[in-house]
Amino acid sequence: MERMKITLFRFDPKFDESSKLQSYAIKTDGPVSVLQAIRHVYHNVDGTLSFRNSDCRRGVCGICSMMINGRRQLTCMCLAKDGMTIEPPPNKTIVKDLVFETD
Amino acid sequence: MPTGSADRIYETDVLVIGGGGGGLRAAIGAHKAGARVLVLSKGIVGKSGLTQTAVTGFQVAFGYADSRDNPEIHYGDSIRGGYGLADPELARIFCDEAIEAVEDIEGFGARFDRDANGHFIQRKLDSSQTYPRSIKKGDSLGTPIMQALRREMNRREIPRMHEILVTKLLKDGKRITGAIALDFQKGEMIEIRAGAIVMATGGAGELFPVHSNTPDSTGDGYSLALNAGAELVDIEFLLMLGHAVLHPATVRGVLFTFQYLLTKGAKPLFNSEGEAFLSKYDPEGSDNPARHIYARAIYGEVRAGRGSPHGGAFFDPGSVSRETLMEALPSQTKYLESFGVDITKPIEVGAAAHYVCGGIKINPQSQSTIPGLYAVGECSGGPHGAGRIGGNSLTEILVFGKRAGTEAAKFANRQNMVTPNSEEVSLEVNKVKSLLNRRHTGARPNIIKTRLQKLMNDYVGVVRNEEGLRNTIEEFERMINEDLPNMAIAEENPIGNYDWVEALEVTSMVQLAKAMAGAALMRTESRGAHFREDYPALDDKNWLKNIHIYQKRNDPSLIFDARARKKAPEYAMAQKGSS
Repeated sequence: MERMKITLFRFDPKFDESSKLQSYAIKTDGPVSVLQAIRHVYHNVDGTLSFRNSDCRRGVCGICSMMINGRRQLTCMCLAKDGMTIEPPPNKTIVKDLVFETD
Repeated sequence: MPTGSADRIYETDVLVIGGGGGGLRAAIGAHKAGARVLVLSKGIVGKSGLTQTAVTGFQVAFGYADSRDNPEIHYGDSIRGGYGLADPELARIFCDEAIEAVEDIEGFGARFDRDANGHFIQRKLDSSQTYPRSIKKGDSLGTPIMQALRREMNRREIPRMHEILVTKLLKDGKRITGAIALDFQKGEMIEIRAGAIVMATGGAGELFPVHSNTPDSTGDGYSLALNAGAELVDIEFLLMLGHAVLHPATVRGVLFTFQYLLTKGAKPLFNSEGEAFLSKYDPEGSDNPARHIYARAIYGEVRAGRGSPHGGAFFDPGSVSRETLMEALPSQTKYLESFGVDITKPIEVGAAAHYVCGGIKINPQSQSTIPGLYAVGECSGGPHGAGRIGGNSLTEILVFGKRAGTEAAKFANRQNMVTPNSEEVSLEVNKVKSLLNRRHTGARPNIIKTRLQKLMNDYVGVVRNEEGLRNTIEEFERMINEDLPNMAIAEENPIGNYDWVEALEVTSMVQLAKAMAGAALMRTESRGAHFREDYPALDDKNWLKNIHIYQKRNDPSLIFDARARKKAPEYAMAQKGSS
């Protein structure tokens, strides 16, 4: 059993004046990728979280790319660790939370 | 906006639903034939679907590795691999047109591995291939194929829309008139008026807890087609592979194609007692049998108490040198290592849902049983029958993608556009929106999905029996009557609301699961990817038949219809040879 706290970027441009960072305590059966941790939050803690779910989960498609502790990485290829902060890349138009407009 | 009308309306000649390899190939084909084309995807067009993750290889009978190989031998392998149930005409088409398909995709800029003479390097995956036939690009063949298709899409400036879930196909009498869809990032309903539609929605791995697919492989296309009155065929043949990595959870379900290492001296799969066991389960006694034998053999070992800790068997990548490993499977090896897997020690591999061999029944023009509705790739049915041999899927999407696109364009050109019935549109728009507006107290969609996945795994997976299937179908009916109408969505905000999407997906998934289990119950024999422990033998006398599934107009009950297939000479010869 792994316990960790991860912090996610939340912003709904329609209702929120500004974005915020929200922390979640999660428990998983073992080590998980950052993407799996995000999905875990959505399924088990907060169903209002928006994120992209059509990823290839093996580092090929690139759509799960986020800022992890300030560095742009593929969330499917990165192991989730306690204290991580996950945000969309800078200068992107936010649709909601971790979903931003694609080119 | 009046209640019930769509937020936006689009018009096109050919609507392609799905942004993977089959969808893109169809879009290019339709555009080349002069049609206006629009491509929709649940993900990002060109970056969604399974084609991009393809590793194994791509079967094309050039005969470079062995000059005895040719399309006729490829065809024979495909008919035998489909245990006599593939539609011979369709199998013949993709074997015969495979070389042209490679020329086309190279024309779009893809390059595959060649030897010093400029010939494609061809490998043999397993015993289902008579000669080495799979062409490759390192160990990640999907990447160059998708890059080339994206480039050609861009060159042709084919319009596309991302993150759109189609919820209904629209018809006027027998003709397709368009589709209704949810643009889930904007939270808007859209209507697309179309002269013809190509379904390229992929498979349904997400019906199972462990699968090799992407998480959005929820089988929407099968339900859309069924609800529009089209026939499905052969969907009881769900290919479970035995070479998915089972542990750690970070990589669970991802394929490790160690079969290519077996010819390079790797130790065959072994159980917890260190014994090789595959040959015991293969009628031909091979240590590297056809893919569906793997899952069944591992299941047998697990049930006998000789499984690995996570319900699989062991493969030891350390039984070959690191150079061999990196030469044969570079990206797969690097991927596992990036998650801390020690590649010098045995790893746990086991069953994962991989491929629905059947699907929307197509004819040689790639058309479904509904005029104007076409299908390509995993969502289509007919070319593979009871089992798909490794590397035939890419061949199929390129060959039938081109056909589907070209034929859909011709169909759309021949007809005048018919405006969809506004009543039909408003009924669907209201139905989808009402999922959001009601305050329900039931389970969230993902809870229902988890329930469904467990049932599929336990009773409709590697091994099936009558009692399990009957109980499961009853439970699916209960879910349809009780769980689905009470599904609770996390919030009412329509923007980027993934629970809304999942609610629609789960509704399709239960319908498909029920169809798959129903066909598996009807088929009282074991054949190819379908194994019944209460009917473990192949029964050609009674079951050389394809099960077709359809619904009557305005009636959601499924009709299962088994129709006889004439014994193909290639299959008859195989039966004689093995007896």
